[in-house]
Amino acid sequence: MEFLGSASDALCIAQARRRQVYDDSMYKSKNLHAERRRRQKLGDRLLALRSLMNKATIVEDAITYIQMLQRNVKVLSDQLLEMDSLSVQEDEEPTRDEINASEQMKKYGIKEDVKVTGIDGNKLWIRVVFEKKRGGITKFLEASTSLGFELTDTNVTTSKGAILVSSCFKGIYGNALGVEQTKKLLQEIIRNM
Amino acid sequence: MEINHSKMYEEPGCFDPNNFTAEGAGSGFPQAVQKQFEENMDLSVDELSYHHHTHQEDAAVSAMELELQKHLAFKVENCDNNTHMLQQVVDDPNQLLSYDHANWNTGDIGFNQDDPEQNGHRSFNINSLPQTPDLLNLFHLPSSSLLPNSSISFANSNHDTTSLGFIKDLPASHSTSVLYDPLFHLNLPPQSPLFSELFQSIPQGYSLPTSRGGASSLFGDERDSSGVTAYQDGDGGMLEFTRDMACIVRRSETGKKKKPFTTERQRREQWNDKFEALRNMVPSPTKSDRASIVGDAIEYIKELLRTVNEIKLLAERKRCVRERSKRHKTEDDAGEDVKNCNIWPLGDPEQSYIGSLRSSWLQRKSKDTEVDVRIIDDEVTIKLFQRKKIDCLLFVSKVLEELKLDLHHVAGGQIGDYYSFLFNTKICEGSSLYAGAIANKVIEVMDREYAAVPPTISY
Repeated sequence: MEFLGSASDALCIAQARRRQVYDDSMYKSKNLHAERRRRQKLGDRLLALRSLMNKATIVEDAITYIQMLQRNVKVLSDQLLEMDSLSVQEDEEPTRDEINASEQMKKYGIKEDVKVTGIDGNKLWIRVVFEKKRGGITKFLEASTSLGFELTDTNVTTSKGAILVSSCFKGIYGNALGVEQTKKLLQEIIRNM
Repeated sequence: MEINHSKMYEEPGCFDPNNFTAEGAGSGFPQAVQKQFEENMDLSVDELSYHHHTHQEDAAVSAMELELQKHLAFKVENCDNNTHMLQQVVDDPNQLLSYDHANWNTGDIGFNQDDPEQNGHRSFNINSLPQTPDLLNLFHLPSSSLLPNSSISFANSNHDTTSLGFIKDLPASHSTSVLYDPLFHLNLPPQSPLFSELFQSIPQGYSLPTSRGGASSLFGDERDSSGVTAYQDGDGGMLEFTRDMACIVRRSETGKKKKPFTTERQRREQWNDKFEALRNMVPSPTKSDRASIVGDAIEYIKELLRTVNEIKLLAERKRCVRERSKRHKTEDDAGEDVKNCNIWPLGDPEQSYIGSLRSSWLQRKSKDTEVDVRIIDDEVTIKLFQRKKIDCLLFVSKVLEELKLDLHHVAGGQIGDYYSFLFNTKICEGSSLYAGAIANKVIEVMDREYAAVPPTISY
């Protein structure tokens, strides 16, 4: 009897719990609906309000808003710069990368290389491989320019710690050096990098 | 009775006291009404509730009158509440009959003709009559005229319900500014001589000015401003001349023709100035027609919002880094921490900013250069279009180095007149660069270099 009683009690409790959960979820969903409806009502009314504004007000408001946003950007970026100056500069990282680069190159058997070919008149086509360094490309470009060359139609890729430059090489002053000379110059550049 | 009054007083259903503007006028009026009322009428004090109240509750009544004037000034439409009030008014039919209306004719007309300044008020008083047609409908009035003003006051006032008694049946009025001439229903000749005079004095086809200033609002905003001609509605003696009178009054005060002729031009100029201001705020304006300006503004606002989000995200990340590095200071290398920190954010569910990938893009145009910067996480893609012949590659790579961007891939060359380049770069860890900064820097350098280098190449 007791057993039965307890069993029925358990059943009741279970039912009650189920009912409670059910009621809760019902209430929750009702609430959800109400919330959703309320939010939608507000949204619609705001849209209507916006539509009521006359043209002049809209433009004025846009101007004000833009100014505010600009100010925000300025403030936030200043904060960011402040944070930058406060934080410690990590100089170990780049060197680590550079070490990695040369190691990788060796690992994959990529060697520094210069290839020059003449194409179509004054133009030369070069293919240079050199080790990836910080500012390597810049140095290369600087050197080329200082020698009177211009890279047109360039393609530079970085992979496995090496930089590959394949580009159309043109003499700025119109006079082009021969293939061999160019090659030598480029090799010089790479060596000096 | 007292109870009734109070109840009715609290029921301004169809009235909108907020709109009332001619308060000064209103306040002055009731007293005049009262005075005239008392002068013209030989009333037994006890029988008129109004009178009764006059003696006993002077202040209250005048205040109530004022309130009434306010109420009557607007919402000329029939109000259901009127009927409601009317019901209570009906309760005292006896008092209606006791009025001596003999003198009211003159008083009535006198009012209308008096003092042109008060016309506005008067007419707005009279105007309120249309609000009461339902009220008045319920009454069977003895054949006597009634001071329109006072009748109105009474009609809508709580206390003066009794005075309504003498107003005869009125047909339902039109909702707009119609003056009900109380004389008509009194089986008098269709037009009293004075009224016809008034009619003739009013120019026909007068149009109601659009609501300007407070005065015009007296006649209700719902009114359409089509031309109002004074006419007499044979049915119920509805006259619209009052509106015209008000028109006349108003026209002289706020006539549109008096508007200085530069206002239109000023408005246009202001308008254009605003657009110019908007245009100046946008960084890369192209066309200067209004639609483009607005379009550019829209794009710019979107861009600013993106930038703000981006910077916030960066700030969050930095803060996280700093906190973590503080925590791990004693433990491992600082360098390691930085690396760890970058992995951290992705797994950290708490801070929504850090967990999300950074993404933003930006476009900037200057005279000969166009820059497009796109950032996803730590990859930055920069597209460059350059019209003039300068060594784009060199300068840009210099800039990238300056910004600590790791150049991974470059592709580009000359396409027709333009130089087009694509830079794929990676942001160094810990850098707090945002898209706008990159684009601005690039453009700045480009322009500077172009300005520094004359069109022909020189070294």
